[in-house]
Amino acid sequence: MDDLQLQQLGGPLTIGLLVLFFGLTMLISLRISRRKENADAYMTAGNGIGLGVSAASMTATWIWAASMYASATSGYVYGISGPIHYGLWGALMILFIYPYGRRIRAVAPRAHTLAEVMYARHGRSSQLMLAGSNVLGSVISLTSNFIAGGALISMLSPFSFSQGIVVIAGGVLLYTLWSGFRASVLTDFIQVCAMLGAVVVVIPAIFFAMGGPSVFIEGASNLTPQQTSFFSSDAFLNQGAPYIAAVLAYAIGNQTIAQRLFAVREDLIKPTFITATVGYGATIIGIGMLGVVALYAGINPMEGDLNNLIPQLAGTYFGPVLLSVFFIMIIGSLASTADSDLSALSSIMMADIYGRAGKRKADPRLMLTIGRATMVIATGAALYFAGARMNILDLLVLVGAIWGALVFPVIASFYWEKVTNKAFTVSVLAALAIFFPVRFGWIPMDGAVGYVFDVIAVVGVGVVAGLMTFGFFGARAARIVGFIAAVAVAPFAIGFLHDYAVLSGSLIAYAVSTVVCTAMSLSNQDGFDFSRIARMTGDFDVEEAEPAAASAAAPARSGSQIPQTR
Amino acid sequence: MTPFWLTAYVLMWPVIVAGVLAFIARAFFKEWLDAHRRGEPMI
Repeated sequence: MDDLQLQQLGGPLTIGLLVLFFGLTMLISLRISRRKENADAYMTAGNGIGLGVSAASMTATWIWAASMYASATSGYVYGISGPIHYGLWGALMILFIYPYGRRIRAVAPRAHTLAEVMYARHGRSSQLMLAGSNVLGSVISLTSNFIAGGALISMLSPFSFSQGIVVIAGGVLLYTLWSGFRASVLTDFIQVCAMLGAVVVVIPAIFFAMGGPSVFIEGASNLTPQQTSFFSSDAFLNQGAPYIAAVLAYAIGNQTIAQRLFAVREDLIKPTFITATVGYGATIIGIGMLGVVALYAGINPMEGDLNNLIPQLAGTYFGPVLLSVFFIMIIGSLASTADSDLSALSSIMMADIYGRAGKRKADPRLMLTIGRATMVIATGAALYFAGARMNILDLLVLVGAIWGALVFPVIASFYWEKVTNKAFTVSVLAALAIFFPVRFGWIPMDGAVGYVFDVIAVVGVGVVAGLMTFGFFGARAARIVGFIAAVAVAPFAIGFLHDYAVLSGSLIAYAVSTVVCTAMSLSNQDGFDFSRIARMTGDFDVEEAEPAAASAAAPARSGSQIPQTR
Repeated sequence: MTPFWLTAYVLMWPVIVAGVLAFIARAFFKEWLDAHRRGEPMI
């Protein structure tokens, strides 16, 4: 397979597909654009979008090109259970956070960012921790999507990587710049149609082109016993378990998800999250199956790079028509996530860095300018990082760790009135201070030290299990499940968990932030009035043309009428 | 696992994806029609 020639799209066809894709999204964006955009709508589209748009947008945002490649890699490396250990956990995390989403929306019905809510709940340091981690996370995600686009174009067309990233970046920026989040969510519908429609065709097409069911007979000898098992411990410990810890953090901490949570009509949160769970899971596991089939077929990834596997299969087995369908599938997945990242970044800069800073009243016109300038600067930065082929893996680990350390303090802040700004801040910093030495092996894990960290990581297992239970069944059930999970895992984990640095580091971040935040909050005698959050996170851009409606709504929802510091 | 079940395991996902796509598209066009009838923008 190594010397196979890949089918390419050809210059005119590639340009035609890109013009078709970005032209259509641009047309949609132009149709909804207003000469005078509203700053709040630019961030949350008016807090009332319907099920079709919100479910499409949540699904499209959660699916990115890297997740398709990673699921196929998991299938190729770990065999038949590999895609499940990538896609199923990612999907379930959308479901697990939905009760938290309802709670967040209930206490902050007209907020724009999660960091803005943290400002209302705690103060500036908590807000900036969440906002800063999201700026970093979104720029990394943007970079990763540009790299995926550039790599795809360079592999399947005569154009270079550099030309590819510039076209992708320019296309996404153009249709998102003017209308912001409104353009992002509405174009997500077209993108999800293109993406899911292509998945329906691409998976069976590649499977049958590779030989269909016979590949499972002829290639059975290519798999190890672990790779043929549905209950592979290799797959769970190396892929599934670290991913559970990581995606819980991503789902809670990521502004792209929070933004959709604040945008959807409140009674549609549940069906939106359920649809996105099923849509994401089936799409990503399905694409992962191509990695399993490639393993059976004995295919070697080009240049030894597993990220090449999916484009390589398409380029090997598809003619121009199906290759075009595949091309649109990947472009759709990366564009939908990239426009979400741009919208998330602009909202953070508009609401958190400018809007909720100091006592002065925010100017909605200036907010819009800040939002648009942020998009342009972020696109430039991501292009620079992508062009330099910067290794973003370490940065991704950093963001994952910050979000992992934030999960318990953030969730507790919405339910437990005793959590303080100091407890929030100290617990996150303490978790990070222990995470880094563990994750990067700066502490020798020989003897008792390794055992101590294993015990902390086992507490982290209990925390993750408890958090997944708490949203649905409450604190008592969460404590029971967390305790049982920790006790059940302890005999198998203590003594060897420190050998898995990624998993161990993530679990320790959860455990330390939970223990420190809880211990510090218990001593607090004052309770927090959650109704203050709604009063402090209202609209910025109240229409002067509708003074009656605005003044009627102001006491309940308009942050501009309320002092912005406590 | 037999080749039959492995084949079903591979091909069940695009079927589910098709179902989700149909659900999203139906909801979207229903909202679009409602907005159109009311003469309001969809978003």
